[in-house]
Parts: sequence; C-alpha cells; structure tokens
Amino acid sequence: MSQNKLKILVLDDEPIVCKRLQPALEKLGFTVDTFTRSFEALQAVESSTYDIIITDLKMEGMDGMRFLTEAKKISPEVEVIVITGFATMETAKESFKKGVFDFIAKPFNLGEIQQVVQRAAAKIRESRK
Amino acid sequence: MRILFAGDEQPYSAYALKEVTRLAMNTWAEVTIMGVITGPVSHGQETPWPLEHPLHQVLHGYREDFLKGWQGEDSPYAFKNWRYEWLPVKSGLWEETLVCRSAMKDLKVRLRFGNAAQEILGESKEEEADLIVLGCTKGGQCQWLGGQAVPQTVVNEADCSVLLVKEDQPITGILACLDQSYISQDSLEMINQMATIHGVSLELIGLSQEGAMKKDVYRRLIEIGDYYEDRDIKVTTRLTEISEFEAVVAQELRQQLLALWLGKKSLLDRFFPRDWVGRFVSNYQASVLVMR
Repeated sequence: MSQNKLKILVLDDEPIVCKRLQPALEKLGFTVDTFTRSFEALQAVESSTYDIIITDLKMEGMDGMRFLTEAKKISPEVEVIVITGFATMETAKESFKKGVFDFIAKPFNLGEIQQVVQRAAAKIRESRK
Repeated sequence: MRILFAGDEQPYSAYALKEVTRLAMNTWAEVTIMGVITGPVSHGQETPWPLEHPLHQVLHGYREDFLKGWQGEDSPYAFKNWRYEWLPVKSGLWEETLVCRSAMKDLKVRLRFGNAAQEILGESKEEEADLIVLGCTKGGQCQWLGGQAVPQTVVNEADCSVLLVKEDQPITGILACLDQSYISQDSLEMINQMATIHGVSLELIGLSQEGAMKKDVYRRLIEIGDYYEDRDIKVTTRLTEISEFEAVVAQELRQQLLALWLGKKSLLDRFFPRDWVGRFVSNYQASVLVMR
C-alpha cells in the first residue's frame, strides 16, 4: 500500500450509500472504511487517522452534525464532506460554520462526489508540501 | 445534486426559476441555467453570437434573479475565486483570461442552438444532471414557446428526474403513485428533499388492477411508507384501481405535486398507450415530478 494513500471514512445509515461510495472512491486510489452507525464510526476516528470524512446528517443515535463536531475535536485536520437527503438552509449554514469542506444534497451521482473528494485530497496534499 | 434549469422568455419559466432558487438555497446544488435558440445548426461552423436575440438578456436576468434569492446571506454561488484560465477565442486560438468563479458551488449560464428538447436532453447528459427543471403553460396544453412539445419530450426521454413547474403556486402536498417494485434510491431521496424543502406530507398511491396488486409492489409500498415514516415525513397510503387513476389524479388539489415513478416494469406503461407520461403531465393541473 502506498504511503501517500489518503484514508476516507464514510458514514451513512443507509447501507446502499456506503456500498455505492466505497468502490467509487477506492477506484480513485483512496483507502475507504464504511460505517452505518455513528458511534462505531466515532470509535474508528479515535483509533485510526482519517484524512477525509464523508458523513450523512440525519441518523439515529448520534446525528451527523454531532458526529462531525466530535470528529473535528479528535482530528482537527480532517476534511469533512456532508451528504444529506434532508437539506435545509439551516443545515447547510451550520455545516459551514463547523468548517466542513463541502455540503452535497442527495441524490448525487458518483462523478459529483468523486470531484469533491479529489478537491479535498488536493487541498490536503497541498497543505502537507 | 446537479440541477439543470431550462428556460425560455415566457412567464412560466420565471416561475420555474423560483422553484430552482428555492431548491438551490436548501441543497446548495450545482446549477446550470440554459436556454435554446431554436433552428437548424450548421455543424463544423462557428455559431455567430446572437447579439439581437432576447434570450441571452433573459438568461442574464435569470442569473441575477437566482443570485438575488440569498438577499445578503452567504451564498455558495458568490463570485470570490479570481484566476486566469485558458479560454478558446476562435478555432485554433486560445487566450489566457482573468475569470471569476463561484467560491463553492458552480452556477453556469449556457446558450445552445438547435432543437430545444434535444438540446436540453443533451445538456443534462453532458452535465450528468440529477434533476431537470422546466416550466410550461398551465391547463391542458403544457407547452413551450411556439406550441412545441418540449416538456413532453423531455419527461418522456430524460435519463434523470424532471420537475415540470406549471405556475407560481405553493406546494401543499406530494402525491406519489407507485405501480412497480423497482424504485431507485435517487428517486426516494428526491422525494425526501421535496418534502423537506416544502415542509409537506406525502400521500402514496398504490395502483391495483382488477382489485389485485402484485405482491412485490404491495410489499414495496409498505416498505416505502416505513422508509418515510422512519425519516419523520408524514405519509399516508391508499390503493387505487389503475383504470380510475387518471380520474383520481384529475380530482386532486392543484397545489399537490404529482410524483410519478417511471421504470421499465411500470404498470402504467403497459396499461396506457405510448407517451402516456406526456399526456398525464399535460392533464394534471399542478406541478409534476417524474422520477427515474
């Protein structure tokens, strides 16, 4: 495995979303871990280092907004991309206040999220030069 | 989400733009505003810039109206990103030009030439749009400028979902008709967004034939009802005989958005003659969302 391979965590309570995203992002050369429960995903953030987090907002238990807040506390450098099926102006604004890299409403095609992830990866690589 | 708004110079296009603005304000979608100057295109030749054509002024106005939607709020489409880009000047000649791009989300305004419906479909494919939004005349005509069947052709042939806005009316509910078991995740999510943005409930209509409903379709109806309930969207379910469906739809309130799932196994597709979608879309009084 390449030392430069960026690591992505995907969190969405709908397994079909994880199933679609994982191969699409691995195809671009990223290492991808997927989770459908936010508490398990947060444990993974605590025990491992991720470069990019892609998270849904509306989930049972800990919602995406709280998850990204906690994840940013643990790993302030991580770039977070929010994906949501229930977009509102408030959630979009709150996401950006919390310093997310991008906000994407569902449905989205894989090309769209691949582009956003590539931009986030470029930013990370630039900051590490 | 990527939204393609296709507009002409008519008032219904301005109504449809309002809906696009509302959608974009909530979803921060990538948006393309496009117009089509109809007529034959001579391929392989430069298309002269139509200085005198009113459409490019109209499109400029649509851009301004779209951006005004934020009224001083932070806009993801605000132009903050100045940079030099190489742009074509004419065939074989490029120029490095200073351009200003949106900081977060793209707002493109495009003008195409040719057959309106085919150019809209072409743009949606090239841009990989998730949703096409266009307006049309209300009532039973459902037309575009010059009496063309642009809306019908787009809803019949598009690969993605299409929202047809008929007039400037608030949406007070969503009426979704299910006649097949295959429902794409994208279409479920499109309904989620519509119900959230408009703050409305959902009524699911299951279509039966001669009093019976296919087991897998019935199971899917229950699953979809549960899916939305789990996501705090108020949902009611009822069954309607397919032969009565057209009459039922015609009686519904004009502020209800009609959502139709289209697919290869559609019962409606088998029951009604070809191009039934175009006819339903024409006959329904309010806006229609055709999902794929």
